[in-house]
Amino acid sequence: MEEAKEEEVSSSAVGLSLCDSVPLLWRMEDIKKFRSMGLVGSLVGALPRAPRQNGRMGRPLLLLPEEERLLSEKQAAAALPVANQRAEGVEELRQKVEQYEAHLQQSYEEQSALALEDRKAAMLRAMTSSNTHTQSSEDAWKHRLETLDQNFSFPQSAMAVQLSTARAGLTYYPQDRAFLQADWPTRQRDGPRCDARYRVFRDLKGRGFYLTSAGKFGGDFLVYPGDPLRFHAHFIAVCLDLEESMCLLDVLAVARLGSNVKKTVLLCSSVKDGTVVYTSLQWSGMA
Amino acid sequence: MGFSAEGKRYLLPEEALYLMECGSLQVFYEDLALSIQDAYEIFLSSETVSLHQYQVFGHLKRLGYVVHRFDPSSLPSRYAQQLNLPQSGKNAGNQLKRKHDVSLTSTSAPSLSKTLVPTTDTMSADEHMKDESVDESVAMTSSESTADESSTTDSAVMVEPRKWWTSDIIEDKGSNHRNCSRSGWDFSSILFPDLGSKENLSGSLASPDPSLLPGALAVGVCDVASWRSKINQRKVKGSPEHRRRGVDNQRQGWHGKKDEEVQSCKNWTEFNDLMARHQHRRQDEQAEHLWNREVTPLHDPSQPLPTRELLDICSVIKPTCLLEGASRLKPAHEWRISFVVYQPDTASEFKKSKPRKPYTHVCVCGFDGPVPELQTVKLLTSQSGDVPVVFAVVDHGDVSFYTMKDFELPTDVFL
Repeated sequence: MEEAKEEEVSSSAVGLSLCDSVPLLWRMEDIKKFRSMGLVGSLVGALPRAPRQNGRMGRPLLLLPEEERLLSEKQAAAALPVANQRAEGVEELRQKVEQYEAHLQQSYEEQSALALEDRKAAMLRAMTSSNTHTQSSEDAWKHRLETLDQNFSFPQSAMAVQLSTARAGLTYYPQDRAFLQADWPTRQRDGPRCDARYRVFRDLKGRGFYLTSAGKFGGDFLVYPGDPLRFHAHFIAVCLDLEESMCLLDVLAVARLGSNVKKTVLLCSSVKDGTVVYTSLQWSGMA
Repeated sequence: MGFSAEGKRYLLPEEALYLMECGSLQVFYEDLALSIQDAYEIFLSSETVSLHQYQVFGHLKRLGYVVHRFDPSSLPSRYAQQLNLPQSGKNAGNQLKRKHDVSLTSTSAPSLSKTLVPTTDTMSADEHMKDESVDESVAMTSSESTADESSTTDSAVMVEPRKWWTSDIIEDKGSNHRNCSRSGWDFSSILFPDLGSKENLSGSLASPDPSLLPGALAVGVCDVASWRSKINQRKVKGSPEHRRRGVDNQRQGWHGKKDEEVQSCKNWTEFNDLMARHQHRRQDEQAEHLWNREVTPLHDPSQPLPTRELLDICSVIKPTCLLEGASRLKPAHEWRISFVVYQPDTASEFKKSKPRKPYTHVCVCGFDGPVPELQTVKLLTSQSGDVPVVFAVVDHGDVSFYTMKDFELPTDVFL
């Protein structure tokens, strides 16, 4: 029972790691959980299968400050401690090193077995595909197969080593994560502007939209009607204070921008009672 | 990548992290391999390389550029630029032409310009014009009203290093001036004969005053009858209508007493004054109400003003160029150039000991942060020498590149 409950609790928490005072998500389960909550974030690392391109990025996942705040409000964020190997005892360190080396050795043996299989299969193919089927050539092939078994050596330098993206550690056990749940430090990002943005974010999220950052479009958020991988953004949300007066040139600029990229511009302001009012700008002709 | 120190090869943290992400490097700490998460948390911090800077670094490296950390001491100082030491690469060939490569923003120049204004003459101004076309790293002050000042500034600065050949010229001119003042010619008393006047002069000119002639020159009487016959002394005939009206076109509106006023003028000065007075009278009648209120016109059209100055009065924004006044700015800590980027196509030929001219300098900032002010932009541009500065703005994983360029609004001035 308790295990089930702990698993439930742990399954609702997303583990965040701080890097240069910026929260990042590293593990696949965390990212999946995050996405299932309707939050998108942005990937900023290199994709392991195609590291030298900027089109598709890989882990870690970077969070918007509003997403982070939403997580902490829902009590779904867990701070993972920084791995501090020096804090551990020498004994534990030695154990870890032994484990790592044992793992390497096991991987080496597996790989060398696989390499041998590969070589044999290649030889068999070469044997069967060759045209001459004289007895002497078949004997030669058999002899080569036998020597292969004895003389084959898989060099250590040819071994493929896995470089893990996320850190493996004890903190991924459910009980530790549950313990850390209440401990998420909210970053010092208070200010009327941040509050306004957060309220708009929360309101739009509540209506089922997906939101990402829109710095390149001159706004605060890009609003998608569904998952960003499946839809184009419909709105560019610009967060303003209700009392704030906006220069007409700025309104013109943002309207122009929106019409050029075929998105509707939403001017969003949060009212004192907690709701948010929206004004949409669309470029229309004189007719 | 990396550097060597004490016989060992070292890698900078951002380079190590990039190679790890590419899968080319494994980093061990205390006999355990670091995961990429560990590497991010250990290598990236605000003291060494921030996450924003690493994102820009990684982005550029993945595109193929060669990216190094910026070292301010690697740029030649202003003094070294003035000396024009032979630099590697393309500048070595142009050494002869670049004799006058002096940065135009040296602060000592304005003080010198005051003393040298009287002796500024056409000769040095001409040379200055010629040099500017050759000079590549020029910061032309675009405000036209200070064009004169800048030319004197330039000549002032250039006099310093080029003393031995400009001083001759200045001395010659000075000696000329001195000669003239010594003899004290009074041009108002020397009368030049008017050969074209209608009054009948004698057909010959008397010999001039011997004191006006140089040396022992003796000039006799000059027969000018043949010259005078060549001068067209025919009266100019206007169009038939013109002749019919019997008045000049210009004097159409002038009847009655104005005609008498004109006739009472004895010379051109008085005539100009009369015209000016009439202009004023007419204008004042028409537009007096404009000058009575709080907001007055910028300029009274009756006052003569060169077109350049008029355009300056009308301008809303004071133009400035990026390098103007940059040497006086104090360096700020938060805005600094992070990386120097070299073109990717020379990666195979790239040598760390003798790098090519850099492509750009990159300054990293975030989208949430403030937009750089003009002061900051000026400071960074002056710090980076003649290499353009690019602002890499990071917005949650997206990197955008912006650059500020000098732009001069065209002013059509036909003199």
